[in-house]
Amino acid sequence: MTRALWILWKREVGAILHSPIAWVLLTCMSLINGFSFSQCVAYLGQGVKEFTVMQIYFYIFHFWFLLIILVPILTMRLFSEEYKTGTIEMLLTAPVKDGDVILAKFFGVLFFYLLLWIPSLLGLAIFQLVTHQAVPVAWIPLGFSYLMVTLVGMLYLSIGLFASVLTRNQAVAAMISFTMIALLFFAGFLSYLVRDPGWREVLNYIFTLEQMRSFSAGLFDSRPVVFYLSGTAFFLILTRQVMTGRRLNG
Amino acid sequence: MIQVENLIKRYAGGEAVRGITFSVEKGEVVGFLGPNGAGKSTTMRMLTGYLPPTDGRIEVAGAKLPQESLLVRQRIGYMPENVPLYPEMRVEEFLEYRGRLKRVSRGDITHRVGLVLDQCGLTDVRKKIIGSLSKGFRQRVGLADALVHNPMLLILDEPTAGLDPHQIRSFRELIKELGKDRTILLSTHILSEVEMVCGRAIIINKGKIEASDTLANLEKRVQAGALQIEVKADPASAKEKLGKIAEVSVVAELNRAGDWISFEVTAAPGKDIRGEVDGLIKREQWPLREFRREKARLEDVFVELTQD
Repeated sequence: MTRALWILWKREVGAILHSPIAWVLLTCMSLINGFSFSQCVAYLGQGVKEFTVMQIYFYIFHFWFLLIILVPILTMRLFSEEYKTGTIEMLLTAPVKDGDVILAKFFGVLFFYLLLWIPSLLGLAIFQLVTHQAVPVAWIPLGFSYLMVTLVGMLYLSIGLFASVLTRNQAVAAMISFTMIALLFFAGFLSYLVRDPGWREVLNYIFTLEQMRSFSAGLFDSRPVVFYLSGTAFFLILTRQVMTGRRLNG
Repeated sequence: MIQVENLIKRYAGGEAVRGITFSVEKGEVVGFLGPNGAGKSTTMRMLTGYLPPTDGRIEVAGAKLPQESLLVRQRIGYMPENVPLYPEMRVEEFLEYRGRLKRVSRGDITHRVGLVLDQCGLTDVRKKIIGSLSKGFRQRVGLADALVHNPMLLILDEPTAGLDPHQIRSFRELIKELGKDRTILLSTHILSEVEMVCGRAIIINKGKIEASDTLANLEKRVQAGALQIEVKADPASAKEKLGKIAEVSVVAELNRAGDWISFEVTAAPGKDIRGEVDGLIKREQWPLREFRREKARLEDVFVELTQD
């Protein structure tokens, strides 16, 4: 990590933590997480199930809904605000590379994104406490689950960052990233419908829900890892291209 | 310090800068002057490495643009128009962040920030949140930001825009003070600012340089200024006689107070008619109670050079 990147990253995290959105989000996330977790527990209580509570948690609608909604809200202001208030000019006339600015924003928002998932771990901790460790925590599947949460988050956040560099209007940025992320997420479901095996293969490759299911069951697959990392890199590079293009046009 | 040759900036919509050439030497304080939309900001943005030029050669602070952009950016201090700042940060915290970003070492940062806080009169508000500051203070924070890494060249885009007269005055003093030991290029459309602060002016209009000279020379380029006299004479014949002086272009009667009449006598550009007018008054033995020459002001130069 370069020095400039570190300085920029600190400022990004500071800006996020100083914004009211951050704390509202954290509160809402805790509420919805708690609600969804208690539903998972209620489901488990209906009888003998072959899932762990975290497997259910990462599969149910609440989790995905949150993920899809959350990212556009987190990323919409990243560049839009800088372009709207003109601070981008101040930022880019300091001796820093465009790439450092983009990476700092990306890692800054990723940091906060990961922070937002801490309440879900608290849910598990309380669950273990209340049930007196009736079922020990399956650490490896749990680790894989959060790895997947991180990877999916990286791709979605990079899409959000890209949307944010396109416009100086935050609402427009949010709509663009929401649409892209939702389409990407729901495209996976087409694999249930498509007959052609080649297409099904392709769609399975981006079927986030199924990938999450196998990761939370403790089954590691390297393909999704490659997919999310390369997707992230793709959108970060695209962001850089747009940034350069915006400067060419003044 | 700044060398610009044939600089062109083209947008999809047209040409903002159309082949300008100028230079700024070390130690100069130069005013970059032009009406709104003349291409001042675009040029400054190219000098700071923010905008890539469409064509032309730029050398700033000993480094070429756009190839050595990072080097240039480290050597110059730039205050953009409207002074964009992060409103949620505190003044001191912001300057520390900016200083570190501009490669001031960890050991020097406290010293440098303290120095620019003092220089820009911000010491009392250093713990305040930028968003809560008045426009005048925000402007000072912008200047402190431009200064924090001790650059050899300052580029200020309309540094006094939007300030009240008191703030403008103190801001100009500050710039004057800073100009003693560094090179400054500042843009403005307020002419008195250039007259007060700068040694030289570059006048730009519609993306082209109209003039680049010292203020004294610029003033010489337009009419030497009108002569105002107040005499006791017959209005019609006095006007006629004044008009007959070879180099006089216009004689206008301004007003009458009893028998006293005042005239404004305008000479052809660059001509001095004081001797001739004085000779006439003596020959005619008109009683005289006012003889005054209006000095040509930069404003006249500006209007003449930038009108269509």
